[in-house]
Amino acid sequence: MKKYGLVGMGGVAGFAAALMMFPAAHGSNDGSAYRQLDLFSDAFERVRANYVRPVQDSELVNNAIEGMVSGLDPHSSYMDAKTFADMQIQTRGEFGGLGIEVTMEDGLVKVISPIDDTPAAKAGIKTGDFIAAINSTPIQGMALNDAIDKMRGPNGSKVSLTILRPGTKKPFDVNLTRAVIHVDSVKYHREGDVGYIRVSAFNERTGPGVEKAIRDLRAQIGNGLRGYVLDLRNDLGGLLDQAIDVSDDLLASGEIVSTRGRHAEDTQRYDAKSGDITGGKPVVVLINGGTASASEIVAGALQDHKRATVVGMTSFGKGSVQTIIPLGPGGGALRLTTARYYTPSGHSIQATGIVPDYAVSQGDDDDSTKLLRTSEAKLPGHLTGEAAKKQNQTVIKPAPGKKYDDFQLSYALDLLRGQKTVAAVTKSADAN
Amino acid sequence: MKALSLVSLGAGGAFCATFALLHIAQGADSSAELARFGKAYAVVRANYVEAPKDQDLVEGALSGMLGNLDPHSSYFDPRTFAAMQVKTEGQYGGVGLVIGLDESLVTVISPIEDTPASKAGIKAGDHILSIDGKLITGQKLDDVQDKLRGPAGTKVTLSIIRQNMHDPFDVTVTRQVIAVEAVTHKRMGDLGYIKIPAFNEHTDSGLRTAIAALKKEIGPKLKGYILDLRDDGGGLLDQAVAVSDDLLDGGEIVSIRGRSRDDTQRFDAQPGDIADGKAIVILVNGGTASASEIVAGALQDHRRARVEGTVSFGKGSVQTVIPLDNGRAGALHMTTARYYTPSGRSIQTTGIVPDVFVADSSDRSSSFQSLIGREADLPHHLAAEGTPIKSDVASVIRPDPKKAYADFQLTYATQLLNGPHPARRR
Repeated sequence: MKKYGLVGMGGVAGFAAALMMFPAAHGSNDGSAYRQLDLFSDAFERVRANYVRPVQDSELVNNAIEGMVSGLDPHSSYMDAKTFADMQIQTRGEFGGLGIEVTMEDGLVKVISPIDDTPAAKAGIKTGDFIAAINSTPIQGMALNDAIDKMRGPNGSKVSLTILRPGTKKPFDVNLTRAVIHVDSVKYHREGDVGYIRVSAFNERTGPGVEKAIRDLRAQIGNGLRGYVLDLRNDLGGLLDQAIDVSDDLLASGEIVSTRGRHAEDTQRYDAKSGDITGGKPVVVLINGGTASASEIVAGALQDHKRATVVGMTSFGKGSVQTIIPLGPGGGALRLTTARYYTPSGHSIQATGIVPDYAVSQGDDDDSTKLLRTSEAKLPGHLTGEAAKKQNQTVIKPAPGKKYDDFQLSYALDLLRGQKTVAAVTKSADAN
Repeated sequence: MKALSLVSLGAGGAFCATFALLHIAQGADSSAELARFGKAYAVVRANYVEAPKDQDLVEGALSGMLGNLDPHSSYFDPRTFAAMQVKTEGQYGGVGLVIGLDESLVTVISPIEDTPASKAGIKAGDHILSIDGKLITGQKLDDVQDKLRGPAGTKVTLSIIRQNMHDPFDVTVTRQVIAVEAVTHKRMGDLGYIKIPAFNEHTDSGLRTAIAALKKEIGPKLKGYILDLRDDGGGLLDQAVAVSDDLLDGGEIVSIRGRSRDDTQRFDAQPGDIADGKAIVILVNGGTASASEIVAGALQDHRRARVEGTVSFGKGSVQTVIPLDNGRAGALHMTTARYYTPSGRSIQTTGIVPDVFVADSSDRSSSFQSLIGREADLPHHLAAEGTPIKSDVASVIRPDPKKAYADFQLTYATQLLNGPHPARRR
């Protein structure tokens, strides 16, 4: 699992290997399958024979496979032999990045901040820059996760970003060399009698990081510790095993998540081992539209077991699993969506996302009604979720004229302390 | 080939070996690559999270294979192909927008007057974010244009982002048949000015009417003609040939050359010059493409006209529509040949280099050009052939910054024809 995990919510152990024995085409679909394959062969031969210049067969087929797979959903893609080889280097730990925190704004990737002493910072990339293209491929319409994937690559490899800088008329290219970026995905501090734990991503250090945070906070706050805030806002996910570890830390037992493919035998269940390292203290999980994938697994598991109260806005809704399937020597590999995640109560996260127990908006800017708010359901060609129950939920907002640094956090702290310090108004809104 | 596909749909392990052997033994043989596709197809069919439709998989594959060849090749799925047939029958509607790509944002270059788009208040510079609720960013221009078109009388909703407006807004317009862009003319002193905005089935007759009218209006004093092909994105090849033929007394107009020699087609001019050999200046710019470049290239090579302005777009490729399974499976829209001017120059990427480089006066035009770019700026464009032509930037004639010109290139053209050294037929 770890082997491919860095690419996204990648492989589930043993799954990829099992897939190498393809179930033979069967049933009434056979005719159609062969007819379509013949049609493709016909088109392929015509292009080979009549295109204005000779084209390499391998190039035609690479593009065909990419077209076939990328049309399925926003997370499926094809890696040609070279890209696949690069990816295998990444998984040997020589994985590089650029060192920028990014978000999606107006369909473009926007730089939140370059991290000090990283290639991005050294190359002069600034907060507020927009990334329009990666290696000349426009990123418009791409999911944020996919854009991030494209920026990553083997340590030492080069990547060119086309930057649009507000105030600069023309876009310009910046060439960067990827480097191993060490980002602590877990930060924590004491908020009076509450332990605040911020998880910004699920990488191989996240599970141990959360455990350390809880140990330290317990020691710092002592007996008066009321509970924890687990902040998963804008956490786009990462490794499945780390999401399971973090959920397990806070759950004494029960299912954490299951992944289910087309066939019943593909179903995998992950259960919590006994023991809750917080000693059962109350937990509030903060989520928003930028909470995706691994983060949604944690929020969903803790919510279903009523172990935590989920506060914030409906999460992104990326509930699909991608598996890397090599196509043989020199054939590259498919990164194919093969399963969906289900929370312990059997809800698919896909497209629906995690609906908070308390819908709390940061303020007007964070309004979920905003047209450009990104979510899985808005990605072109997204996998549909289960029919979502339409539920009317009231959204809690700061009272007019009141400003809070972080209204959602303040609300969470009030919940844990059983008090009401924030001035809030509630508005009826469609939770979907 | 079929046998291999069967193998690939069957067992994986044995197949890899077959694949490797074939690859070594037959080198460039296409079967090995087809088998690789067959394998990927089988994997997706068997393992994708939902049972995919075979047809969707192959349509996606064809779209990927064709779409990456060059900016003008694409796959038409059966629905699109059927819609195209309707389009050629003329009852197809549009909204009346000229659009381009600006850093992958679909941008309105200009709304055409008296069309649904202009009546709805859509403006030049607006970005189109989505059509009927579907995001179009990152899509190819052709695809976007197809989405804007549809049967006349149907409605389409555009989500627009306008500069200085914080939020996008929706505009719903009713498609209508957009009047074909006609050839227009006007007298400029002793000169005849003719504007060809596009090459459609009425272009040649429009040019003949314009020249006849100008001859009548100006009479024997008529010194020459200005043929304005700026921002003319092209259209029908036969009309470009007919227009060139109108003004040439003989010789080759254009040749079209595919991969093999047998594919070469030549088009020659018939005797007769409806402009009676009078001097001609052709205006071109970065928006002059395809059919327009054929006309400019032919008249330039035969020294029948002087070409003035800035380097043209450089679209010198021919696309052929190849139906699959008699159109039931859609069609390939594929680049099959290149255009060559009579002197043997390929227009592709290089474009038509003007005899007289004259910069434009208006800001609108320069922003327009940077907006649409040139063929060479398109991703995966077909490469040029032969040695690149160097343009001497120092010799570009620019308007006096202190003076205001409505259209400096046109003003300069009138000077060329009227001035102390009038352009003559050489």
